[in-house]
Amino acid sequence: MSPDDLTALYLEGERVEVPGDTDRLDAIRSALGDRATWAQPPHDVADGLWDRIRSDGVTDTNVTPIDRSRWPAVLTTVGVIAALIALVLATVSTFANDGSEEFSIAMSGTELSPGAFATASVRPTGSGWWIHLDISDLDPAPAGTYYEGWVWSGDDEGVSVGTFHMRGGDESVILWAGVDLEEYPGLRVTLQDEGEGSAASDRVVLTGTWGG
Amino acid sequence: VVWHNSRVDPEVLLRFSAGDEDAVKSVYERYGGAVYTVAMNILRDPGRAVDATQETFFKAWKGCATYDPRRPFGPWIYAIARRAALDIYRRERRQVPSEDVDVIALPTPLESVWVMFEVRAAVDLLADDEREVVRMSHFDGLTHVEIAERLDIPLGTVKSRSHRAHAHLAELLRHVEEE
Repeated sequence: MSPDDLTALYLEGERVEVPGDTDRLDAIRSALGDRATWAQPPHDVADGLWDRIRSDGVTDTNVTPIDRSRWPAVLTTVGVIAALIALVLATVSTFANDGSEEFSIAMSGTELSPGAFATASVRPTGSGWWIHLDISDLDPAPAGTYYEGWVWSGDDEGVSVGTFHMRGGDESVILWAGVDLEEYPGLRVTLQDEGEGSAASDRVVLTGTWGG
Repeated sequence: VVWHNSRVDPEVLLRFSAGDEDAVKSVYERYGGAVYTVAMNILRDPGRAVDATQETFFKAWKGCATYDPRRPFGPWIYAIARRAALDIYRRERRQVPSEDVDVIALPTPLESVWVMFEVRAAVDLLADDEREVVRMSHFDGLTHVEIAERLDIPLGTVKSRSHRAHAHLAELLRHVEEE
């Protein structure tokens, strides 16, 4: 009997010895019994999606690749001083933000990630703000943690815009903000612990701003 | 992780990466169910799962230039789906007063979410009669005898169809076991 036949019997509920990982097979059987596996999305999901695509009309295929060579070497140096200098440069590099066009800012690593840097490209859409991060030299999030992006207000309030983990190396990340960015002129990336609640941690690893 | 079950025409993926709307429809037909499963698994609410599913494919379409058509599509759309659902989950949890935080269930462990995604993606590739038997067996909890009665077909047919369906599933999900 082939391994696939044995696996098929196991999935059917037979008590057979399988060459593979029975925990995984149990997880598959559990998934097969979960209503989420069999739930069908309503037809209006597709209809709404097409309407949204048609009304938006533009993909981001024309996003200009980032020329990393233009970033000052200081961003790759270690320490708080380098991070502060980079923060100033980030502000200087902010393109005109008239609220209607894509603009980009540089993000610099903090003392927790002194060599890291990123470029955030931001564009308004009909449903919020599309934020594309091109991140370099940020270590993968350790096991049990993840990175979370935040837009940050002058009142020191953060709103989550998405999560990622960098475990695939340098990473291109798409985030989404539904708040008015004029009220949230800062962009931060924090290191978060899995299962530790929804508040931003104080472990900021990247920071930038489009505010003056 | 090796993803074997993308089963999407490479030409469709190429067109998708160029922002072709028809290609978006094709990948939605292939992965709409799996993305909805991820959203339901995390959010446990059909309405919010609809929002997350729509947001996932909209974000995918907006960010199509970041997709490399030489790579499997499944893990790419899965990452977007998981993030979209978690964003909704976190946003709504943030809006609930702390004393009422229990009214929103904790999300499923993320380890099992990708298994759900893979299982759903595999189930959607089964033939209709195979999928029907698998659903009746696992979700409805019916025995082969009960399935035969409900479908009004011989018990032997149910047994052979069930084994064929599960062998097909085992093939589609072999990489999950081997991971």
